[in-house]
Amino acid sequence: MGNCIARLTERKNLWPWLLLAPLAIYMAVFFLVPLIDVAIMSVTEPRPTLANYQRVLTGSLYLRVFLNTFITAATVTFACLLVGYPLAYLMANSKPRTATLILLLVTMSFWTSFLVRTYAWMVLLGNNGPIVWLLQTLGVQQPPQLLFTRFSSTLAMVHILAPYMVMNIYSVMRKIDPVLIRSAESLGAKGLALFRHVYLPLTAPGIANGSVLVFVICLGFYVTPVLLGSPREQMVAGLIGNQIDEFLAFGMGSAMAMVLLVVTLAILTIYHRRFGLDKLWG
Amino acid sequence: MNRFLRWLGIAVAIFIAAPLVIVVPMSFSNARSLQFPPPGYWLGYYQAYFTDWSWLRPTWNSILIASATTMLTMVLVVPATFALVRHRFRGKGIADLMMLMPLAVPHIVMAVGYYSYFGSFGIVHTHLGVILAHTCLSVPIAFLVLSANLKGFDRTLERAALSLGASPTRTFIHITLPILRPGLIISALFAFIQSFDETVVAIFISGRDAETLPRKMFDSIRQEADPVIAVISTLLFAAVILGVTVPLVVAHIRNKQARLAAA
Repeated sequence: MGNCIARLTERKNLWPWLLLAPLAIYMAVFFLVPLIDVAIMSVTEPRPTLANYQRVLTGSLYLRVFLNTFITAATVTFACLLVGYPLAYLMANSKPRTATLILLLVTMSFWTSFLVRTYAWMVLLGNNGPIVWLLQTLGVQQPPQLLFTRFSSTLAMVHILAPYMVMNIYSVMRKIDPVLIRSAESLGAKGLALFRHVYLPLTAPGIANGSVLVFVICLGFYVTPVLLGSPREQMVAGLIGNQIDEFLAFGMGSAMAMVLLVVTLAILTIYHRRFGLDKLWG
Repeated sequence: MNRFLRWLGIAVAIFIAAPLVIVVPMSFSNARSLQFPPPGYWLGYYQAYFTDWSWLRPTWNSILIASATTMLTMVLVVPATFALVRHRFRGKGIADLMMLMPLAVPHIVMAVGYYSYFGSFGIVHTHLGVILAHTCLSVPIAFLVLSANLKGFDRTLERAALSLGASPTRTFIHITLPILRPGLIISALFAFIQSFDETVVAIFISGRDAETLPRKMFDSIRQEADPVIAVISTLLFAAVILGVTVPLVVAHIRNKQARLAAA
């Protein structure tokens, strides 16, 4: 046996296969097969037809949920950009001490569990929370309902996903050669023009990276929309969860999961063709 | 422009910091429901957490599952990473992509798949099921960290050992592994954290028996917002603070020592 392996590995090109085999088999059995199972259930549960897809792609309830998910993901991405860009700029252009401090803050937020941050927003936006208290002190008699609305889930998702945006933009800003900025200045570019025609295009790759990442994560976000969002304005992941948990409707749940998967993979494939997927999480 | 950006940056920093900080006073609050500022302070909910099995069991389950996931992930990922970084072969592109795939698939999709697939083996609601699922999700993260380390590996060190007569096995154990150790540790740590924090798949497949901490927290926030959540949040946040600052402090002290030694 040992001899046999030794002889096999002598043919050098077998080595990588032997090293890779355990993981490849594992991923096939415990990652690919369950995924294929979802695809199969979407056309066989409860009966082998395409009825599930027909309902998902034409039913007004489902279309509204998909639309809602897209709008929310776009809003969150845009807000993350508005919040993340200035912070990344500050990080890349301040004294080392300040930059380290901001980096620490962003890293801490990044590593803190989604659940902890979701819970924190529940405290902040609750009826006995500081924001409602502040509004009352300022003389607002009937503070609006903040918790369990589209507003609260969107705000919390912006907070949770902003670190992804900041890190991506910062890693690009850090590498910008200051000579480029100085030469643009010496050629007469100032203020907004300098920003629009020189700085912004130079940071575009970071913006693209961060936006794709935030948008894709947001499309499939389950925890925060379910805990903080309005039950009447669900997102796709929450609805899929409902189908499985409450109605045991595996066919419908799987069909929606497949649509979510295809949309997500389509976005990532386009991105992969243009920039390479390995850069996204690197 | 610059002043404007600075103020905006400070405002954003507060936006990011405030929710993290607020869980700390909440954990010492004696209020029964969410209330801020707290009406009074005590340690009662800390005591509640450390004595209540309905919270300790999920904590223990999470530690157990994350440890097993880490071991399984490393056993699979380390050889595969060597294959993918150091060898060129047909189908390498597909193998590379396959390693990253779990990052691209939304967890809710995997949760549906595991619920039905593991159900057919009877391992849904067991530790084993959660470990098998979490390993798939930890693989890409461990792989990204380790492959970045391995790509930066200076192979002349290995060649030197080999040319001095060390066998390939000996070279691997005495040269390759020690140099790669920091990368291996960080890679394992990331795999552990990924499993420990994973919520969505655990909600659907961990059940009562293998209930993980995130699942218990999710259920608790959804139903009653038990004040013990603030305690756990504070403990988790404290762990993050330690994890982020300790390496910085250690590096700082080492730098100082190195400078002293040089002087």
